[in-house]
Amino acid sequence: MTFPERIVGFARVIAASVFLIAPATNVTAEALTLTDIAGREVTLPERPDSIVLGEGRMMYAIAPLTEGNPFEKVVGWKDDLILYDPDAFRKFEAAYPEDAARMINFGNPYAGDFSIEAVLEADADLVLLDLGNLFKAEDTGLIEKLDKAGIATVFIDFRQNPTENAIPSMLILGRLLGEEEAAAEFIDFYIAEMRKVTNIVQSLPNEEKPLVFIENAAGWQTDFCCWTFGSFNYGRFVELAGGVNYGSTKFQGYSTEVSLEGVIAADPDVIIGTGANWAEARPEVTATLLGYEGSPEENAKRIALLAERNGFKDLRAVQDGRMHSIYHQFYNSPYHFIAIQQIAKWLHPEDFEDLDPQATFDELHARFMPYDNSGQFWISVD
Amino acid sequence: MTDQAFDDAKVDGIVRGYRRRSAKRVALVTCAAAILAVMVVLDVITGPAELGFWRTVEVILTPANATPKETVIIWDLRLPVALMAVVVGAMLGVAGAEMQTILNNPLAEPFTLGLAPAASFGAALAIVLGWSVIPGVGGIFVTVNAFVIAMLTSLVLFAFTRLRGVTTEAMVLVGIAIFFTFNALLAFMQYGASELQLAQLIFWQLGSLARATWPKVGICVVVLGVLLPYFLSRSWSLTALRMGEEKAASLGVNVSLLRLLVLAGVSLLTAVSVAFVGAIAFVGLVGPHIARMIVGEDQRGFLPLSALAGAMILSGTSIASKAITPGVVYPIGMITSLIGIPFFVSLILAQRKRHWQ
Repeated sequence: MTFPERIVGFARVIAASVFLIAPATNVTAEALTLTDIAGREVTLPERPDSIVLGEGRMMYAIAPLTEGNPFEKVVGWKDDLILYDPDAFRKFEAAYPEDAARMINFGNPYAGDFSIEAVLEADADLVLLDLGNLFKAEDTGLIEKLDKAGIATVFIDFRQNPTENAIPSMLILGRLLGEEEAAAEFIDFYIAEMRKVTNIVQSLPNEEKPLVFIENAAGWQTDFCCWTFGSFNYGRFVELAGGVNYGSTKFQGYSTEVSLEGVIAADPDVIIGTGANWAEARPEVTATLLGYEGSPEENAKRIALLAERNGFKDLRAVQDGRMHSIYHQFYNSPYHFIAIQQIAKWLHPEDFEDLDPQATFDELHARFMPYDNSGQFWISVD
Repeated sequence: MTDQAFDDAKVDGIVRGYRRRSAKRVALVTCAAAILAVMVVLDVITGPAELGFWRTVEVILTPANATPKETVIIWDLRLPVALMAVVVGAMLGVAGAEMQTILNNPLAEPFTLGLAPAASFGAALAIVLGWSVIPGVGGIFVTVNAFVIAMLTSLVLFAFTRLRGVTTEAMVLVGIAIFFTFNALLAFMQYGASELQLAQLIFWQLGSLARATWPKVGICVVVLGVLLPYFLSRSWSLTALRMGEEKAASLGVNVSLLRLLVLAGVSLLTAVSVAFVGAIAFVGLVGPHIARMIVGEDQRGFLPLSALAGAMILSGTSIASKAITPGVVYPIGMITSLIGIPFFVSLILAQRKRHWQ
């Protein structure tokens, strides 16, 4: 660490502590009661100051809410951020090396290797879990056990029903972290950016909505296609962006396997695959490596290969140059409005001519994030 | 001379009876093969893309006249899946039949002896931990892992059979122990898996034909093409074995060697099929029972019919899975049981006598 960096870091700590101490004096004695995304009423004796994250990727939501060090109140997590989005992890690591190194890996909260004793030893007072695993957490008695140990559990959600749950989840995080103002500021930004798309889409006639096939994790399995989303997550993003999601026309659930033949028969207007830097954990993947370290040359090669797959190369969408790839992790973060903006631009280039998702993403980083934007988050086939 | 005449008449009767039984056996096998052929045709002409029977035939016979889309649908998507269903079904049917024969146990099959869970565990090692048992195999390491772990497991079973005084019952028990061991290990892997890894693991545990390709079909055909004739060439000894170990030994069968060779063959059949399509339960268990109820124990009829019954179950499943929601893929192991069991139970009820002696 160079001297100027040290100064900046020091100044940040001072700024953060001033920011925290001021409200802290009047809340320490006050109990905090809130309703989480699972609909459970949770009461904390005071604002938590050592938090365990059920998923490392929750940092996507915590970072924009914290002025200064987002790791300040976090004692540990699951290593999914390191494994499945190493680019983002390195961004955090570069900004806060000691904190990134300090993170305890508690493992999967629903597995035998998640030790409640370790949580106790870390003096944690709150475990944040994601809604998708509510049943497992109930089944394994995790919530009860933590509760007996005096550790609260709060469910948030950016994955199962992201467009519905992002705002309440950010509100909950804001209250838990004592960052209500930052949460309100982020939510204002979120709503404004979402409306830029939905205001136009709501006046689009149905027959102008193209059929879109979302290929979930395209290239994760080298010998197989296709996983897709129902009317959830990326499937929902497509609907909000003014498209008809192929998966929603086929089944009710969250995600499933569909046959390539069905996709060929449906002849979608647009194909969108998701990709992230999985190549470090799984070198064999042929996915696009989108993210903070995404390289346009490398990803251009990769999407060309995905488009060359048997069955794909003859699809109308591929031949018309309407095959795209987008950062997979938007599916588990409060920044999904970026994905929705970009998809809207792909589906209705004329209606959204003035929309600039890259500028929105840059602004998000400038205003809320502890690091700058970089890399590549979407790409289209040539 | 009267003795001679009497004997001739008796021999004539025996010969006639034998010929009749042989003819019946051939007729049954031919009939089953014909039904299977019809099912394969049905399998190839059904799918989310409406192509019609004659158009499908045209695409198969004169690929040059087909559009690229039709070529992909028929040649790359439907045909490999339909043929994979037949070959893997036959492999599992044969594997189950011979497992039941050499272990003299009606519940023996690749699944109950833990070979399939072993393969699933090998795949899970690759999917969840990214470990490759054999380094440097690249993208196919999931398949390679599944195969290697299944073969290693059968080696353990092998080693066990070499121990002095080990009975077939004990072998079955060891198989069950292996089964539970790998299931537990598999559950352990699942706990640590991410969402995508879980989706991939489900494929291994419940099986799916969606990943079929021509090279995979080719490998399966070669393995089955070598092992089925070999088993048929040993059918006399194997039939003798079903009368009891001592009787077979007194008829000149080297029981322990036969058992070893057949177990090796069964392991190979199982490992290859599971490595390609995942663990499909039920086919290896029920296929042979259906065959046994129809033709009895004589391996010359029992073995081909077991193969055909297995192939028919899997082919039927392939057709049915497309009919549930066209375009959505269901794990096939889920459906094999649902389709095969009603048929199986009706057979049991129809002939309420002991078919396992």
